[in-house]
Amino acid sequence: MLNRILCVDTVLSPHWRWYLRAAIVWIIVSSLLPAGPRAPLGPPQSVVTNKPRVCVHTRLIDEVWEWTIQRSLQLVREMGASTIVEFFPWAYLEPQQGRYDWAVADRIVKHARNQGLQVIARMGLVPAWARADVEDTHSTLNYLPETSYEHFASFVAAFAARYAGDVNHIIIWNEPNLAFEWGYRPVDPAAYARLLQAVYAPAHQANPHVVVLAAALAPTLEPLGSANGLNDLLYLDALYRAGAAPHFDALAVHTYGFTEPPAAEPAENRLNFRRVELLHEIMLRYDRSDKPVYITETGWNDHPRWASAVRPAQRVSYTIEAFEYAEANWPWLEKMCLWVLRYPAPTRSYPDNFTLLTPGFQPKPIYYAVQSYARGTERSADLWLPAPID
Amino acid sequence: MAARADRLRPLTVLVVASVALWALAGALFAVRWASVPRSLPHARSLFPYGEMRIGVDASSPPFAAVSADGLFGLEVDLGQALAEQIGVPLRFVNMGFDGLYDSLRADQVDIVIAQLLFDPMLTRAVRYSRPYYNAGLVLVSPAARPVLSMAALPGRALAYEFGSEADAEARRWLRRVLPFEQRPYELPSFALDAVRLGQADAALVDAASAHLYLRDYPNWKAEISRVTDSLYVIASRADRPALAEHVNAALDALEADGRLARLIARWF
Repeated sequence: MLNRILCVDTVLSPHWRWYLRAAIVWIIVSSLLPAGPRAPLGPPQSVVTNKPRVCVHTRLIDEVWEWTIQRSLQLVREMGASTIVEFFPWAYLEPQQGRYDWAVADRIVKHARNQGLQVIARMGLVPAWARADVEDTHSTLNYLPETSYEHFASFVAAFAARYAGDVNHIIIWNEPNLAFEWGYRPVDPAAYARLLQAVYAPAHQANPHVVVLAAALAPTLEPLGSANGLNDLLYLDALYRAGAAPHFDALAVHTYGFTEPPAAEPAENRLNFRRVELLHEIMLRYDRSDKPVYITETGWNDHPRWASAVRPAQRVSYTIEAFEYAEANWPWLEKMCLWVLRYPAPTRSYPDNFTLLTPGFQPKPIYYAVQSYARGTERSADLWLPAPID
Repeated sequence: MAARADRLRPLTVLVVASVALWALAGALFAVRWASVPRSLPHARSLFPYGEMRIGVDASSPPFAAVSADGLFGLEVDLGQALAEQIGVPLRFVNMGFDGLYDSLRADQVDIVIAQLLFDPMLTRAVRYSRPYYNAGLVLVSPAARPVLSMAALPGRALAYEFGSEADAEARRWLRRVLPFEQRPYELPSFALDAVRLGQADAALVDAASAHLYLRDYPNWKAEISRVTDSLYVIASRADRPALAEHVNAALDALEADGRLARLIARWF
């Protein structure tokens, strides 16, 4: 009947019935597939904490599902941390010059805001178009030629403007005292000082409240001339001598305890938690005394085999003692961020033993210990029982 | 009739295309199957340097450690037994834990024996052997009052190392069964002490800690019951499948004649 009325056989393809049937089957099958996980925002939350310095580094940028971002940030809030550090790769957000794709950043910032969390953004990772003057074989994603400094500054300004109010702290680069992080070139404090200079004014014009942080340096004892990098103390000294002081508002620091307790004395030839004090002494030598420090990576590792690890019980007690030490002794410290909340997938190696949550969101005992510390929950007893006596 | 033929034509095309695709898949499978060697190549041809280079991390006794006399441990003994079984000279390459896979990729070693766990993320580059040791968590309890599973814990006291994988496992079980008393200690050996001295009904510790402890207290009659698996495997390069087959065959032989069990018993 339909044929006769509409003369569809003459108007449409003679196989239109098959196409129609296929379309119906496709619609039915599609409707049977399970919907993707959703992550509705819910009512805005706020962080309940007695220790506003407590902060944690997250790894959310490569998450596939939005709900895993949301769940991660819920657990950050529930732990009593008010702040996260997150990496926002330039290569992801400006894949072509002048064409921004903010989607992956938007969903992180949106959920962080909803959980009442501050975000410290670490910027880096160079898109291919900004490395164009370098032959591919010698170019890595950390290679930023000086000719691209203004492009990077434009990106940072665009980021700062877009997320003003939600992200008011921006770290410029990561560990530039390592050759790997400097594009496998010899490290160059003066060149990094010029990068800070290039970024500082555009970032402040884009967001007058932004705090520009100089990159955290890798804690390392590499001597001058090493192919791998440069001692962080020497690098910071050279950075100041290159005139970087006016071009950053705060210093980011990476300081790990390795196998030593948090109160262990710092020394130029040792890597431990209080190495940050040596960096701060250099700051006081060259900079204004009230310039703050943000520890954006710290912690202990409890892998059973890694040479730089401690026992799980030590990891917990050292971490809490480190927070207490910082609170008692370091008025210049703004935030202390643990590395790291969670990885999206297990590495099946020692990096897993820096995390506070398993990939399946199972909190580790250290998570609960930090939560007790941050939220001021009374502990009924010591963390563990005394050794049984024969 | 012609209209019916028109209607059937797409179906015919679909059937013919499906048959053709299956035929192509079958042909490709046959070609691949034919290329698989039916017998292992001679072992010596697998080692271009004339020796089997074994990467170890000698920082974890009793699996692998180093003294003034050289390397020792279960994995060192296992490497020697494998080389003997395969029939090649061997050389150990001691390195840090975080350099093990890189050394394999950079052809600095042929295999790695270093408490590695199977990692599905690495299987494009790495081939894993069958397991040689299970280091998962075990329940240790007095033989006279055995606790054979986590489900039997309610109403009893469980000792474990605070902050460890055992601690996390105990917390998981607390959400699944009725309450049991938690007794966290600073070290696995303290948790085992607690059971031996009657201060806890069972200890949840890794298998290696349990067996090492029981060596120190041979008169204590204890029951060991496995709770989780943590299987140690040997890694080789994915582009050297014949080598991996030799390693697996050698492990099979070591297990079949009891040598693997004797090696483990020597150290645990």
